[in-house]
Amino acid sequence: MKKIIIGEHIVKSFGEGDEKRNVLDGASVDINEGEFVAIMGPSGSGKSTLMFALSGMDNIDGGKVIFDGDELSSVGEVELSDIRRTKMGFVFQQPTMLKNLNILDNIILPSMRDNRKNVAKISEKARELMKRVGIAELEMRDITQVSGGQLQRAGICRALLNNPKIIFGDEPTGALNTKSAQEIMDIFSEINAGGTALMLVTHDAKVAARTERIMFMHDGKIVSELKLPKFDGTNIDGRVGKVTEKMWEKGI
Amino acid sequence: MYFRLIRNDLSKSKLITLTTTIFVAAAAMLFSLSAILIVNLSGAIDSLMHQAKTPHFMQMHSGAIDTVRLANFAEQNSNVDEYQVLEFLNMDNGQIILGEQSLANNVQDNGFSIQSEKFDYLLDLEGDIINVSDGELYVPINYMKDTAINVGDKAIIGGKEFTVAGFLRDSQMNSMLSSSKRFLVSPNDYVAIKDHGSTEYLIEFRLKDLSSLSEFETAYASAGLEANGPTITYPLFKTLNSISDGIMIAVILLISVLVVAIAFMCIRFTLLAKIEDDYREIGVMKAIGLRLSDIKKIYLAKYTAIAAVGSIFGFALSLLFKGLLLENIRLYMGESENSLFAAALGIIGILLVFFAIIAYVSGVLRRFRKISAAEAIRFGTSQERNAVTKRFSLNRNKLFNTNIFLGIKDVLARKRLYATMLTVLVISAFIIIVPQNLYNTISSTSFIKYMGIGNYDIRIDIQQTDHISQKSAEVLKSMNNDISITKYTILTTKTFKTKTEDGSEENIKIELGDHSIFPIEYTEGRAPATENEIALSALNADEMGKKVGDDITVVMKGKDITLTVSGIYSDITNGGKTAKAVFTDTSENIMWSVICAKLSDKSHIDEKVSEYADRFTFAKISNIDEFVTQTFSSTIKSVGKASIAAIFIALIITVLVTLLFMKMLVAKDRYSIAVMKALGFTNSDITIQFASRAVFVSIIGIVLGTLLANSLGEALAGAVITSFGASSFSFSVNPLSAFVLCPLMMVCSVLITTIIGTSGAGKIKISENIKE
Repeated sequence: MKKIIIGEHIVKSFGEGDEKRNVLDGASVDINEGEFVAIMGPSGSGKSTLMFALSGMDNIDGGKVIFDGDELSSVGEVELSDIRRTKMGFVFQQPTMLKNLNILDNIILPSMRDNRKNVAKISEKARELMKRVGIAELEMRDITQVSGGQLQRAGICRALLNNPKIIFGDEPTGALNTKSAQEIMDIFSEINAGGTALMLVTHDAKVAARTERIMFMHDGKIVSELKLPKFDGTNIDGRVGKVTEKMWEKGI
Repeated sequence: MYFRLIRNDLSKSKLITLTTTIFVAAAAMLFSLSAILIVNLSGAIDSLMHQAKTPHFMQMHSGAIDTVRLANFAEQNSNVDEYQVLEFLNMDNGQIILGEQSLANNVQDNGFSIQSEKFDYLLDLEGDIINVSDGELYVPINYMKDTAINVGDKAIIGGKEFTVAGFLRDSQMNSMLSSSKRFLVSPNDYVAIKDHGSTEYLIEFRLKDLSSLSEFETAYASAGLEANGPTITYPLFKTLNSISDGIMIAVILLISVLVVAIAFMCIRFTLLAKIEDDYREIGVMKAIGLRLSDIKKIYLAKYTAIAAVGSIFGFALSLLFKGLLLENIRLYMGESENSLFAAALGIIGILLVFFAIIAYVSGVLRRFRKISAAEAIRFGTSQERNAVTKRFSLNRNKLFNTNIFLGIKDVLARKRLYATMLTVLVISAFIIIVPQNLYNTISSTSFIKYMGIGNYDIRIDIQQTDHISQKSAEVLKSMNNDISITKYTILTTKTFKTKTEDGSEENIKIELGDHSIFPIEYTEGRAPATENEIALSALNADEMGKKVGDDITVVMKGKDITLTVSGIYSDITNGGKTAKAVFTDTSENIMWSVICAKLSDKSHIDEKVSEYADRFTFAKISNIDEFVTQTFSSTIKSVGKASIAAIFIALIITVLVTLLFMKMLVAKDRYSIAVMKALGFTNSDITIQFASRAVFVSIIGIVLGTLLANSLGEALAGAVITSFGASSFSFSVNPLSAFVLCPLMMVCSVLITTIIGTSGAGKIKISENIKE
């Protein structure tokens, strides 16, 4: 299986002088095309920093990250932006939407950067995605006029619109109630079934249990891994049990 | 703690702190200067008028005078304290040579007097009454600055040699606005030069009580005494003396208000940017229970320091520049007696600026109340709700590039935020365009239409000489035989009396001749065509309350003649009060004659001008274009300089405000900038978005500014020009500079400043701003 991301011995530090601290301390991660992975770990273990490093959203101080054949530290700011826009999708814990734009405009925004002439086509595709995630009627709504769960679905539509190779999710269900979180995870499973790789950073064992590989972090390193069969909608409790057991074992 | 906070904060934003301090210092300096100048000016004027014993009522008069009748009137009027008639020998400027310099091109009416005996004294620079000896000449103070004349230099007046013994202050005619200037000679010398000029009389009164002035004025008017000339009263002398320095003080005050406004904007934008930067910390401080007043103190401390340093510095500067600005007042009017009061008022001005800043900062900090601690800690930025305009949506946008669309959309969604910048741009455009349009208008040849003269090539002025009619006839004879002159006419100005509705008489200057040869533009009606018609200048029509078709009564050879107003025209020459008529009058009381001529070949104008100037030395011959520019050359130059200064000032304000505004905007928008970057927008995309916002706002600003300049600006300029005698006024606009160059200059400044001001956006890190 071709690897979409190869991260080797990644080091990222914050602070200066005596206060300098390695948040990522030689973390190595590989993600295959179409794979669904989760990163778990206690607060401050470096999960989000790892996601920012792998997606090129933050510079790293050591090691390397190769994304789809390109080493991210050697490409310029413009190419890096192009890669993020065309090959990656992002879903954050808080919906990162622009306040000036309505829901549909927020969804099509990254795609419009390059394809303004195809606005009708892009909007049509966005509407299909909105229908798929159940927010078809909200397209002209202001972002303050919808619920957190609806906004997160809109975020997923935005992440999917450019047919990315991978979607990064940083606690994507962290701000949602149980029902909404479950619905979002259903959408992620469906996306993954379509061949898009997903990498989720999460604290939630129920979220991690939906994935096929869970990496556990501690003090800036990947300390353990748990592989699970692809989720087929069954035996969720058994999967959650396995994840919880591993978390106990690693003291997370 | 406050000291440490201030020090840390200042070290982080040195440039902006310095800029703000400079503006505060400038504002404080200007306020303090205005206060000092106002007190000194009024003090100096009072001293001068007190020392000189300025008349309370003065009637200028030319022509025959009945001194016995006047003396009887003065004696019988219980309000009169003292009375005198002074002679003023009006002399052609060509007959006055100071040192090496002839006053031939001088625009003032220069004349000679002897020292008065009772009051209205001419003073030396020490404030003492001048005692002049034979052969000595005292020169009005204006010429000390305007010419190279020095004490001890020779002067030739009407062929007689004098020695310049000193300069004089004249409480009546000191002001540049007073068109006459008095030189002082001894009584013997006065007699010697008397034949070289024409005598005017200054009929002067000092009253026992100044409050009875209006009563006295009425009494003088109804007594039918000598009144062929303007009447000037004590309050008017005071106004004339204060007006030119007063205008300077008003301008300084206006500029100080502008500078305070800029200082406020600097403070507003830096403070808002700082609040955005510290949003989370402010939330935390609120959450742990710090009082709002405590949090405010932290921010107020820095601006109290800036305001204090700026104010002290400004006061020091005002003391430094005080001498420079007081120089003129001291020179023209002498020392003021209340300099201590001036210093005290200066300090009050400074304190005003200081407290205004503290109050303003406190006002801006009131928004702390609105900050929700929970929201600030959670998001780290303000979560303002924006107005999403439904029509202008990205999914319907085919016209604009996405970055440009986002820029415009942001402006439309946050109109209130951009309102300050828009206001500054509107004002800047206004400041740039109005002086420029005014400059274009007064320097254009079409400005002639405001001067009440027609379209001809050569103008020959014959005035202040004897036998004007014979001399005019001589010129006309030559013109008649000159084949290069296609047409010509003579217009003779004489003074007549008109009867007002209340029966009193007033003087009116009427230009007689054929007005159809070189027609002028009439704002209402037409030129006088028959003997019983008259056209009035706008100011005259206004003052007399006459419209086209109304009748006025003119006294001619003791008989009342009724003339109908045929038209009204603009005239800003001769004080704006003129009239035109065609009737014949054989009397010899000609004030001046103007002969106008048109040439068959315009390229020979200069040649012709020198030919006639050589032949008729008694006349002033001018090329009409030069006449216009000469008449207004100092005004044109000043307005030209002012328009260039205005461009610089407006651009500096634009650049400064744009820079601070953009820095604030980047601080405010760092979350959405981080989101954009996360979604794959490049740094240059972000720059384009900011540039689009700036250009969009500046285009609106320029359009509104231009509209305002051409409406309100034109009305303002029109009001000024109308007060000089134009009946209607419209800008002559140079489209290239007004509609292309100036807007381009502003847009480019805004654009470059935006690119510099938003360079910080590239450094915003996604990971630091999209925190979960």
